[in-house]
Amino acid sequence: MFRLLLASVFIFLSLNILAQERYTLNGYIKDMGNGEELIGVTVYIPQLKAGTVSNQYGFYAITVPKGTYEVHFSYVGFSLQTVTVELNGNVTRNIEMANEATVIQEVVVTDRAIDENVVSIQMSKNTINLTQIRKLPALFGEVDIIKNIQMLPGVISAGEGTSSFFVRGGSADQNLILIDEAPVYDPSHLFGLFSVFNADVIKDSELYKGGIPARFGGRLSSILEVRTKDGNNKNYNVTGGIGTMAARVAVEGPIKKDKSSFIVSARRSYIDAFLKAADQDNLVHFYDVNAKINWKKNNNNRFFAAFYTGRDVFNFNNDFGFAWGNKTGTFRWNHLFNERIFSNVSVIASNFDYKLELKDPVQGFQWKSNLQELSIKADLSYAINTNNELTFGYHLTGRRFSPGKISPNTSGSIFTTVDLQHMYALDHGFYISNQQRINDALTLDYGLRLSIFQNIGSGDVYLYEDPQDNIDIVRTDTLHYKRFETIKAYVNLEPRIGVRYILAPGQSIKLSYNRMVQNTHLISAATVPIPFNTWNPSNYYLKPQVADQVAIGYFRNFSADNYEFSAEAYYKDIKNVTDFADNAEIFFNEDLSTEYRQGDSWAYGTEFMLTKVTGKLTGMVTYTWSKAMREIPGVNLGNAFKANYDRRNVMNIQAAYDYSARWTFGAMFTYSTGRPITLPGGKYEYGSYNPDVITERNAYRLPDYHRLDLSATLTPTRNPNKKWRGQWVFSIYNAYNRKNPFTIYTRTVQDKDGNVVGDGTQKEARLVYLFPILPSVTYNFKF
Amino acid sequence: MRKLIVILIAFIFYSCEETVVLDLKQTPSKVVIEGLVTDKPGYQSVKVTRTADFYSSGKTPRITNASVVVSDDLGNEIAFVHNPNNHPDSTGIYLPETAFTGVVGRTYALRVEVDGVEYLAQDKLLPVTNIDSLKVQKNPDQVEDPKDEGKIYEVLLFAREPQNQKDFYLFKFYRNDTLTYFIDTDVYYSDDELLGEKIDGVPSPVYYGLNDVATVEMYSMSRQGYVYYNDLNLLLNNDGGMFGSIPASPRTNLSNGALGFFQVSAIATSSVVILE
Repeated sequence: MFRLLLASVFIFLSLNILAQERYTLNGYIKDMGNGEELIGVTVYIPQLKAGTVSNQYGFYAITVPKGTYEVHFSYVGFSLQTVTVELNGNVTRNIEMANEATVIQEVVVTDRAIDENVVSIQMSKNTINLTQIRKLPALFGEVDIIKNIQMLPGVISAGEGTSSFFVRGGSADQNLILIDEAPVYDPSHLFGLFSVFNADVIKDSELYKGGIPARFGGRLSSILEVRTKDGNNKNYNVTGGIGTMAARVAVEGPIKKDKSSFIVSARRSYIDAFLKAADQDNLVHFYDVNAKINWKKNNNNRFFAAFYTGRDVFNFNNDFGFAWGNKTGTFRWNHLFNERIFSNVSVIASNFDYKLELKDPVQGFQWKSNLQELSIKADLSYAINTNNELTFGYHLTGRRFSPGKISPNTSGSIFTTVDLQHMYALDHGFYISNQQRINDALTLDYGLRLSIFQNIGSGDVYLYEDPQDNIDIVRTDTLHYKRFETIKAYVNLEPRIGVRYILAPGQSIKLSYNRMVQNTHLISAATVPIPFNTWNPSNYYLKPQVADQVAIGYFRNFSADNYEFSAEAYYKDIKNVTDFADNAEIFFNEDLSTEYRQGDSWAYGTEFMLTKVTGKLTGMVTYTWSKAMREIPGVNLGNAFKANYDRRNVMNIQAAYDYSARWTFGAMFTYSTGRPITLPGGKYEYGSYNPDVITERNAYRLPDYHRLDLSATLTPTRNPNKKWRGQWVFSIYNAYNRKNPFTIYTRTVQDKDGNVVGDGTQKEARLVYLFPILPSVTYNFKF
Repeated sequence: MRKLIVILIAFIFYSCEETVVLDLKQTPSKVVIEGLVTDKPGYQSVKVTRTADFYSSGKTPRITNASVVVSDDLGNEIAFVHNPNNHPDSTGIYLPETAFTGVVGRTYALRVEVDGVEYLAQDKLLPVTNIDSLKVQKNPDQVEDPKDEGKIYEVLLFAREPQNQKDFYLFKFYRNDTLTYFIDTDVYYSDDELLGEKIDGVPSPVYYGLNDVATVEMYSMSRQGYVYYNDLNLLLNNDGGMFGSIPASPRTNLSNGALGFFQVSAIATSSVVILE
């Protein structure tokens, strides 16, 4: 550890010496229209053939030799901006870019914008273009970024109506989902029908599937980074919409013009209002609230506080109910030490909890569970010179897991109070990485993350005669640990390497390798996690999961960057992937460790993506071929089996057509191989039951999945005297009414009323499908 | 609890379903053993059958030429003979040559031999707490919308759960001597992990009509027995591994890949006649 720090200090000093006679150009880049900072803007100096991109806070810095330069700022959807800068000293230049939509048509883009797809060193990353997805059809008209992420190459969905996604052969819990840097442990509303992300407040979201930067850690397969809007610091705005399922409204505006801003938004489903009106006692609702304040004290100090809370509440007949939700808070301070050193310090809190309650004089109980986390992060970036950009930092996270507490809620209840042991963990992450431009064609990014994980007390660890025997559980001893005493520590080094080589203008090859370590494990034996699952830290019995991934890709832009193409191939190997014994008891089990089964997982695949970025017709076509396998001692008799989310072929087509100023049309088609399923090899008699004979796990597949969705957006001609702008979105989900398989179960043959037919010996298989053709209408407004 | 969650999720999703015909691979048939030894006379029996094709109808194949022996930890051996009364419905069922009852605290072993292959199992006879009383009341939901016409009464069970030991229970409900389930895949079982001492008025899952005789049997089980019935429940009520666990064979005490279970139990019984 000490040696690593020393080495980084040394690199610092030596590079400082080399950097003499050079000056730094830096600044923040924002949207001229609303003052939102822009992330990922390409800053390019043609004379030097060198450039950089603005970071996640909209800040850029590039260090170059003294001189006068023409600097290009380019960003998809915005007009190219060219600025001439004389660098006789360090220069700060904040840039405001004009959104193409707000600019008069005559603006001619004179220079070809260099393109991130080809030039950026980052591979295996997808940016969700919100302007684009708003033109596309959405389930119940509710624009949902996770449903769009499920359409990306290398990403698999377990089935419609779920919010979990599976990246490059990783399970659903291997994705780190961040909202303003705070982790969201369960991103689902209504068991996944919608995600917790209200599209109205999202500014930007990115999914990293591979070549994951060293500043991220903690999950094996992907990072989904969602950033919410900063709030318009120029004008007040109200936006909102009423859809089939939910209504939403957002208010934003300056607190002090150009200095500080706020945004508050809320979304709530209103199905329960209809249910109440229909005298129904079964009530369901969900809501989300996002709030954010931004304050630019001066160019060197910016502060920001963001808050999110969302919840689902279900109530049946007033006697049974359950609820779950996430709360996150982020406080952030961006500070410029000098022109070259940018720092970000954040304090982040996240809470996930659920509860179930049955109100009954005899069988009444309340069940609560939660997970809390608090972290402090310090991230620094240092623009050393034209060719080197160093980033480094330290993250400290503390977590508290309360897996469950059951208590009686009436005096006559048969239940007693049981509070499962809390678990605690401390997670230290140190990282350093350098992006180095070797020459015009070759750029490298190399870094290292050190993860030091501790499962700490207070707590008891049970020792067993056989720690894997989950039938005849014999505890031989109990180890007691005091508060903050280390129960088990795991240290892992995670190398991260990226290479980009430009073959010709508009063509590049990229390579990456990353190792990821995961110390927080989802306790779920199903395909799709549910909100009632809990998490465990790595502990006395549970080892960290470790993934190694290599990826190679070819990137090409065509016809003046109108088209982007990428082809990637990857291989991922996971050691100690966490799984559970067959029939594991994962709820309320004091001896849960006897159900852990860890083993190997491997996955490989190829992904192709063609995107049309500009013009009246925009869209993308993707195709993925992939395979994901597992081999876990103690599961499926120790034989290798297809992972639950192994879909061999997936193809997606999305297209939007701007027909006129009033009408935009969208279409989306998806096809995928059916997911693996375990089906019976026979049946037998036991008592009056006739259970299935189960032989091999995931040996069959559901039928293929395919679906077409259509949408039309009408933007009525705006009355120039009025501030009000409205928009109608009409969409049809599952346009040709395909009965898409969700799952298959078996039962004794029954009639429509659920009565057993015949002698009760015959069995049948039932295919469950969710959504038939579903039309919906949404009205959006802004004033 | 798990079952509850699965049902809720199914309820929440707007879902439709239809019967499909699966193209299933042939798997070799396996021996199925259903053994029971209790502390009550007349319950001791072993049923030996085979697995059948998923789509076959009628009873599964019976094995009538097995050799079946139960022994206890004192070395007593009782041979079981195939269907001694030649009852046509009892093909495949083996009964003790000489009547016996199990004794609390003893461990019983089962040996079944089929076509030269031996299947072994053992289980311990654990005590069961008494059913103190049964009470009868109308169930408001069934009064409003009965599943079976006129079956609107539920039986309330009163007992004391011993807090100083780990207990596992299996329940059977009889309506006029007929074993009855609310849904054919229901398994009524429990451990005592979350239970307090006072069990005052837990309602039956099965409903009764006027003048019906309601009988409740409470079986003690070993942890192995609890695991078996829990796994059986998961298998019978599986959702295809979407939100619930992936279907798997129940963990059994039978050796050599035989399906089924050898259960050893003490039984507490109580009956009540449903009167106005």
